[in-house]
Amino acid sequence: MTVTPEPSTTPEPAETSQLAALRRQREFAAADEAAIDGLLSVRPPERMPRPEPVWDDAPVLVHDIVGERYHWLVLATRTIAATALAGQFLMITVPPKGGERILLPRPMAIHRRHPEQGTVEVVYGVAGRGTTALADVAVGERLLVTGPLGRGFEFPDAALPTATGAQQARTALMIGRGVGVCAVMGSVEDAARLGLKATVVVSGRSRANLIGLADCAELGAEVIPVTDDDGSSRMPALAARLRARFDAGPPDVILVCGAGVLARLAAELGAEWGVPVQVSLEAHMACGLGYCHGCAAPVATDPAVEGPLVCVDGPVFDAAL
Amino acid sequence: MNLAPPDATTDARRAFFDARPASAAAVDLSVRIGGLTLANPVMPASGCFGPSLGRLIPVTELGAVVTKTVFGTPRGGNPAHRLTEIRAGMVNSVGIPSRGAAGYLAQQHPHYQALGVPTIISVGGHRPGEYARVVRDLAGSGVAYELNVSCPNLDRHGADIGSDPDAIREVVRTTRLETDKPLIVKLPVLVSSIADCALAAEEAGADAVCVANSIPALPLERYTRAPALGNVIGGLSGPGIRPIVLRLVWLASRAVQIPVIACGGIETVDDALDYFSVGATAIQVGTASFGRPFAMVEIVRALQDRCLTDGAGDINALIELWRAE
Ligand SMILES: Cc1cc2nc3c(=O)[nH]c(=O)nc-3n(C[C@H](O)[C@H](O)[C@H](O)COP(=O)(O)OP(=O)(O)OC[C@H]3O[C@@H](n4cnc5c(N)ncnc54)[C@H](O)[C@@H]3O)c2cc1C
Ligand SMILES: Cc1cc2nc3c(=O)[nH]c(=O)nc-3n(C[C@H](O)[C@H](O)[C@H](O)COP(=O)(O)O)c2cc1C
Ligand code: FES
Repeated sequence: MTVTPEPSTTPEPAETSQLAALRRQREFAAADEAAIDGLLSVRPPERMPRPEPVWDDAPVLVHDIVGERYHWLVLATRTIAATALAGQFLMITVPPKGGERILLPRPMAIHRRHPEQGTVEVVYGVAGRGTTALADVAVGERLLVTGPLGRGFEFPDAALPTATGAQQARTALMIGRGVGVCAVMGSVEDAARLGLKATVVVSGRSRANLIGLADCAELGAEVIPVTDDDGSSRMPALAARLRARFDAGPPDVILVCGAGVLARLAAELGAEWGVPVQVSLEAHMACGLGYCHGCAAPVATDPAVEGPLVCVDGPVFDAAL
Repeated sequence: MNLAPPDATTDARRAFFDARPASAAAVDLSVRIGGLTLANPVMPASGCFGPSLGRLIPVTELGAVVTKTVFGTPRGGNPAHRLTEIRAGMVNSVGIPSRGAAGYLAQQHPHYQALGVPTIISVGGHRPGEYARVVRDLAGSGVAYELNVSCPNLDRHGADIGSDPDAIREVVRTTRLETDKPLIVKLPVLVSSIADCALAAEEAGADAVCVANSIPALPLERYTRAPALGNVIGGLSGPGIRPIVLRLVWLASRAVQIPVIACGGIETVDDALDYFSVGATAIQVGTASFGRPFAMVEIVRALQDRCLTDGAGDINALIELWRAE
């Protein structure tokens, strides 16, 4: 075989602590997978047809660091800004940089939509080669983006202020961890527009790593910040806090993204409170349009028949115990 | 912040759909594959196209479209992760989920027909004898069949059907009895002699060979050495495999009289011309469409434009103009 062996970009981590971090990452992924096992199903057909996806050469208007480890992109892309629904995503093609060629576009949630300005915002963390190269893109360059894609979050009819018999304000609970907050932010925007009261659990490693606090403030959402460093993001602590906050008056819907354990917690709370739960998932993707079949969803189906795809049947699925 | 130009009411996709000059369409890029004439030699690689891509690009500018491989009966596909990217390229182990021939005809073929481009149906089998049955079940749909013989032969402990010239002969001979439409045999990369495989296809009555499928590979995650794919092994594709496939296309073209369709790492018109220069008659684009959905249409347009600016009557003339002494 004449393919050039992959040279390592970074030296082998000499520190055993780095190796331990990688192991933790894998354990986290395994725990995540176990947590959502048997939880998910494809959502029923949406009320409104999905917007037609387009591709665009979107000028980068802003590209800044936010918090300790995230990158914030503002892209000018009028059609996508005007049509994207909450929880939909983009495929971002990373341009060649310094000899680095990235072949597959990277899926990224649409964090904010500004239809009047014709812009969308994306917040991402650097994970591997693709996002490392993306972080090198300068303001003024253009990014090839395809979107809006996928099945997003949707407030169930019963959660809408227009629902018959709606006496008091309807409420929605959003739970996001890390960049998972971005996937639920579109629904926080919708809640503000529709007059729902939104409470957003923003989870992260530390206070400096919480995403979307300013967005929630701007949109008038209540924020419950929880972090790993003080233990407040741990499951029993967070569960107790949410029960204390909502047992007397549960939310009308729970929307989750960013960790399987949070999806399981939400499904448990949803069962206790009798409210629907929607979860946004990640999967490795090539096309984002449903034709490459690369993004199999962890939804149990007949093994002889292909199961749902995250990019078209999701990324948002129903979750129930 | 209101920095987007106020008149930017459109997107790049819409501009790309705008009509091409009549002079471009007048360039004759047509190619023949058996009894079939395609308007131009550019088509997608199997598994790297679906009718949903037709919403992003003017597919009617392509010579043909190729379906994902259809098996006789439904198949599930591999566990996640089904694909990844390493520096050497893309690696996929999708596992070819299929709705079976009947499912394809009922649920997918109508969407292909609606595209308004000739549809070549890719056909798979677990044993050499299965291909003929799938083609029969497809009941004359499609303009041609691409026989994907890069499938493990369950009769032979899983070696690719296409790595054995005798098995290729059996696939083509039995399928030939079921249809008069052109048969294209899509060969694997890992064979002891691509010339022998291509010759076997030609002798048994194939109208063309497609060279080649993705290259078997095993991507590991850095440091932890865990397999990056659920199926452990996948197929490498993308620009990194181009020189490997160029060699195979060159060898196959010298061995057979029937057209050779090149497939492997094509991203631009110059990649396509490289393949034409070593004997390819048509080309397929796979991985490149993911990052640049319009890559195939760009290649067609660039072929037209180059012929016009260089005053070349066809692709062969274009290549001769540039050929080194
Ligand atoms: C619908 C959706 C929305 C997303 N939204 C965001 C977001 O708003 N912000 C953000 O930071 N990240 C988001 N992600 C995850 C993001 O796509 C990955 O972090 C990114 O693809 C990693 O690429 P890489 O080259 O840096 O990593 P590498 O590990 O080098 O990537 C290798 C391959 O695996 C794929 N891959 C690796 N990790 C993931 C992952 N977690 N999800 C999907 N594919 C992965 C890559 O796309 C690439 O094909 C989202 C993923 C999905 C599916
Ligand atoms: C996601 C994916 C799915 C594929 N599925 C099929 C398939 O169903 N049948 C087939 O014959 N080839 C399949 N292939 C192989 C391609 O058709 C092509 O031979 C290969 O990717 C090399 O071309 P490229 O470098 O342009 O991608 C697939 C490739 C990819 C990347
Ligand atoms: S990413 Fe291609 S099918 Fe989902």
